[in-house]
Amino acid sequence: MSTAAAPPLLELDGLVKHFPVRDALGRRRGAVRAVDGVSLAVPEGTVLAIVGESGCGKSTLGRLALRLIEPDAGTVRFAGEDLGALSPRALRARRRDMQLIFQDPFASLDPRMTVEDAVAEPLRLHGIVPRARERERVAELLTRVGLRPEHARRWPHEFSGGQRQRIAIARALASGPRLVIGDEPVSALDVSVQAQVINLLQDLIRDLGLTFVLISHDLAVVRHIADRVVVMYLGRIVEDGPTEAVFAAPRHPYTRALLAAVPGQGRAGAPPLEGDVPSPVNPPPGCRFHTRCPFAEAVCRELDPELVGGAAHRAACHLQDRLPPAVAPAEVDTGGERLRRLQSFFQAGSPQQAPAAAGTTETQREPWGASA
Amino acid sequence: MSTTVATPASVERGESPARRAVRRFLRHRIAVFGLAVIVVFVAVALLAPWIAPYDPVQTSWTAIRKAPSAAHWFGTDENGRDVLSRVIWGARASLMAGVVSVLVAVAIGVPIGLIAGFAGGWTDAVLSRIADAMLSVPFLILAIALAAFLGPALENAMIAIAITFSPVFVRLARGMALDAKSTDWVEAARALGNPPWRIAVRHVLPNIIPPLLVQGTLAIAEAIIAEAALSFLGLGQQPPAPSWGSMLNSAQRFLENAPWLAIFPGAAIFLVVLSFNLVGDGLRDALDPRADRR
Repeated sequence: MSTAAAPPLLELDGLVKHFPVRDALGRRRGAVRAVDGVSLAVPEGTVLAIVGESGCGKSTLGRLALRLIEPDAGTVRFAGEDLGALSPRALRARRRDMQLIFQDPFASLDPRMTVEDAVAEPLRLHGIVPRARERERVAELLTRVGLRPEHARRWPHEFSGGQRQRIAIARALASGPRLVIGDEPVSALDVSVQAQVINLLQDLIRDLGLTFVLISHDLAVVRHIADRVVVMYLGRIVEDGPTEAVFAAPRHPYTRALLAAVPGQGRAGAPPLEGDVPSPVNPPPGCRFHTRCPFAEAVCRELDPELVGGAAHRAACHLQDRLPPAVAPAEVDTGGERLRRLQSFFQAGSPQQAPAAAGTTETQREPWGASA
Repeated sequence: MSTTVATPASVERGESPARRAVRRFLRHRIAVFGLAVIVVFVAVALLAPWIAPYDPVQTSWTAIRKAPSAAHWFGTDENGRDVLSRVIWGARASLMAGVVSVLVAVAIGVPIGLIAGFAGGWTDAVLSRIADAMLSVPFLILAIALAAFLGPALENAMIAIAITFSPVFVRLARGMALDAKSTDWVEAARALGNPPWRIAVRHVLPNIIPPLLVQGTLAIAEAIIAEAALSFLGLGQQPPAPSWGSMLNSAQRFLENAPWLAIFPGAAIFLVVLSFNLVGDGLRDALDPRADRR
């Protein structure tokens, strides 16, 4: 899609966001360094995954990228344009091209708006279709995400989590965005429903040529749909590379530990992580990971490593070229296998699907109905 | 959920949150009873000219402080006026004072609260401190001061009540706006490109109507008492026009030999206030946001 000369659709440069911590009297007592100097670029038409433990700043990064919150430093360029320089009005108009899918579908839909109103809202805000064609367009969108257009006049509380997430996806796609950021879009859902929603997202990314940023801690999902992976730890990027390379030969000890922690990934060789994530108010000096790193040396305690390596695959580790070889992924990648099985289960017209109303396709209803 | 939702395939149009609340409210028997009492009182107030057996201000020297009888069901007062007719006409003053003053308080308080909650910073600090300051003055003192300043009249009593009640709604609306501001659906509305005023009007306002409705209903009960209190003190409805509060005021001198003068208006206040409280409680249960989740 993109030529080498075209600027990346989304470009973050040196982003910093600190949230002040105040004591009981409202005096500043340090700051949570949620995002602490992050640069990355997302070329048009690619899927980037941002992974990391909770609290590593990945959701904050997603919101910074859409300028839903203001960075303390650094710039965000969308299609070459500095979002920070836009007036509030111009920024609102720009939101047509960049959308967000939230983690919790029970919280992200206005409880007092019908599905139709919710999905039509972006159409109205950006004047995308004339009022008269609105209902038709909403029906198309609902069908596209696997819901029945007849559901349009209902309220969110009448739907299950998976269906609500589909509504949220339809809403995010209504304005025809070029960039969609999914903030843990499936982690609040049941495992079986997760697979369906991932399938849907994958289809949409492919069919609409979306540029997608997936914020996730679920490595099985990431491996399944991402072209590139960025690993974050305490507000910094520690590794950045093509998905296959990162999974097959992780260059940062933290990435290795993350991969080892995936249940059923069969990487028994990697040492497990010990201890908790240090406080982001007061990150450790030197390499931020040294307090938990099994390979840490004297240099790690003093020098903060740069993100270095080949242009394609970089890591922020002093020892990245001297680490013992990573344990190769096990032959049977059971975590991925489990997901694949689930997906094929829901992709093929499976026998478990009740022979519901004629003419409904398999994704249109979840097996357990709306009032689960 | 214990509620039985109709099977999805059979309904074309979903059940709106409002309709669901009505359904829940109707299951609440005591609240429905309260609503029925209020409806009766409203009907009585509206139909006063037709159903009152006597002119409420017509004095009669032949029927002074007569006990309840077939001719005068609730007896007569110290000027020979029919107590039943005065209670019926008094319903107008009391209900009007209750409803109108609360509506005015909502109209003043809610926009200010929404602005404070949404704007934050200095705007919020100034508006909130003013509201807190007003709340820190004892209610009746403030109302008496305002009513005395404006002059004794029912309209002025209503204005005084509305002003003294508005900080409650400022605080409520501000709190709800703050709550809403941190929800995902408001952030989603922002991410979609909604301007702030549209988020306030189209998203936040509909979502804070339930608590406003509950608070408003309970406030009507308080406002009716407040009106009675001001009238009792001579700052509300002016004689000879009847109001339950002023009737109680004149009845206090005859409590021992003509108790019906106090019993009937007192019972009317009691019933109406109780009913508004019951309805408020019923609404609170019916609109419980925790039941909205799934």
